[in-house]
Amino acid sequence: MDTDTGIGGIAGQFPSTDLSLLAAVSGELSHRALGQVVALYWKPVYRFIRLKFRKNNEDAKDLTQSFFTMAVQRDFFRGFDPRRASFRTYLRMAIDRFAANQLAAQKRQKRGGDVEFEQLNDHLIANESPEEAFEREWQRQLFALAVNDLRAHCLASNKKLQLDIFESYDLAGPDRPSYAELAARHGIAETSVTNYLAWARRTLRAFVTQRLRRVTSGEAELRKELRRLWS
Amino acid sequence: MELTDSIVDRLRHVAALPDLVGTRYELESQIGRGGTGVVYAARDRELNRPVALKVFDFALPGEAQLIAQLEHPAIVPIYESGTLADGRSFYAMKRVVGEPLDRYVTKSPSLAERLRVIRRVGEALAFAHSRGVIHRDLKPQNVMVGDFGQVYVMDWGVDAVAGTPAFRAPEAELDQRSDIYALGLLLQFMLPQTPPHALRAVANKATRPNSADRYPSVYQFLADIERFQEGLAVEAWSEPLWHRARRFGSRNALLLWLFAAYASVKFLLFFLRTV
Repeated sequence: MDTDTGIGGIAGQFPSTDLSLLAAVSGELSHRALGQVVALYWKPVYRFIRLKFRKNNEDAKDLTQSFFTMAVQRDFFRGFDPRRASFRTYLRMAIDRFAANQLAAQKRQKRGGDVEFEQLNDHLIANESPEEAFEREWQRQLFALAVNDLRAHCLASNKKLQLDIFESYDLAGPDRPSYAELAARHGIAETSVTNYLAWARRTLRAFVTQRLRRVTSGEAELRKELRRLWS
Repeated sequence: MELTDSIVDRLRHVAALPDLVGTRYELESQIGRGGTGVVYAARDRELNRPVALKVFDFALPGEAQLIAQLEHPAIVPIYESGTLADGRSFYAMKRVVGEPLDRYVTKSPSLAERLRVIRRVGEALAFAHSRGVIHRDLKPQNVMVGDFGQVYVMDWGVDAVAGTPAFRAPEAELDQRSDIYALGLLLQFMLPQTPPHALRAVANKATRPNSADRYPSVYQFLADIERFQEGLAVEAWSEPLWHRARRFGSRNALLLWLFAAYASVKFLLFFLRTV
């Protein structure tokens, strides 16, 4: 079965974007900001390419990597005009154009032969448009990064208990424990469980906002993205 | 660890809930979502009364305070404004019992009643404009009609609001005339299927694409509605002669009847004298 790639899923496992290429980017997006863009968008771009152009795992990974490489080489990010669209929309339209051009080039190389499309598994299609998949993957990635930030913050600030409760309750599957069970497990009052959860959620929200702030052009776009995320 | 779809949905939900720690409010349910945040049904524990909490998606302390200063009978009273522990701005307001305008019109109210509602909305807007506040997102869903006919304009906008596309004026920078545009659309929405020409003209003038061609202020819009209700010519429409005569006739019906009666008597007397 041709499953999705595991990269781009967990912090530290993003494809190592060529540092010399990153160095070529200047102006609006610093190296650090570009790193944030890749961290958040690698997987959504990959999923979009897989679904839209029906590519297998390896081809989709190659195209995704080529896209980000091209984006840096051609100073693509500097062409972004926040007055015309959000960065996310700009990026998605660029992938569309890029992947279509790549496919056209492949077709020319084959001298008019048909381009081969991958037969995707049903679970990958699941009645979802490539745009919806991009959006969903973007949300997943954003929360995954924010959860990692929360985890690092808790470990660094001696809040392991708050983290344990948050992971046991909010990151659990359908058979998650009750507040009472969590209180008994950790030997604390139920109100402490709800307070710790409230703190963890509040901090998670702050990290989500922080992550978004790094990949948006300013306050107006950030607000739009936040509205979109929470609505 | 890969986050499943259901966990992402749960995180979106729980992280979006307002953190009411340190406030006097207790969350009950979500009422609706506006352009900048969510309105919740809540309870004020200290005063033991129901309230509606508007929680912005981000920190907007100045805006919440500005809206809180709008005291007018057609603007929902704001009890308190502040910042939640999670940094979001909020205000607590009276929880209005009633129905939004889009539902209210389905009950086929009379034209006079429809115009009463529009005038109340216009008065609230004019008041807010005089305080330097514009609504930015006026639409039927943001006007509530209470059980006793009270009219409330809700969900006052902030800088971040772009407006609802169907009711948004075409100009990029929203100002008071953008609210007049939305008010004109609201009038159009409220009018019956075959509205009087004059009212249609008022709505058309208020919704001209070029903001300079609209009414310069809400007061002038209201004055035209008032002129229509008093049977006078509206500023927005140069009516044809026959229409003016008909309006004159219906406005001065009694006078015309008296004149006709006087003329008939005169004629009769003249006729009797000559016989």
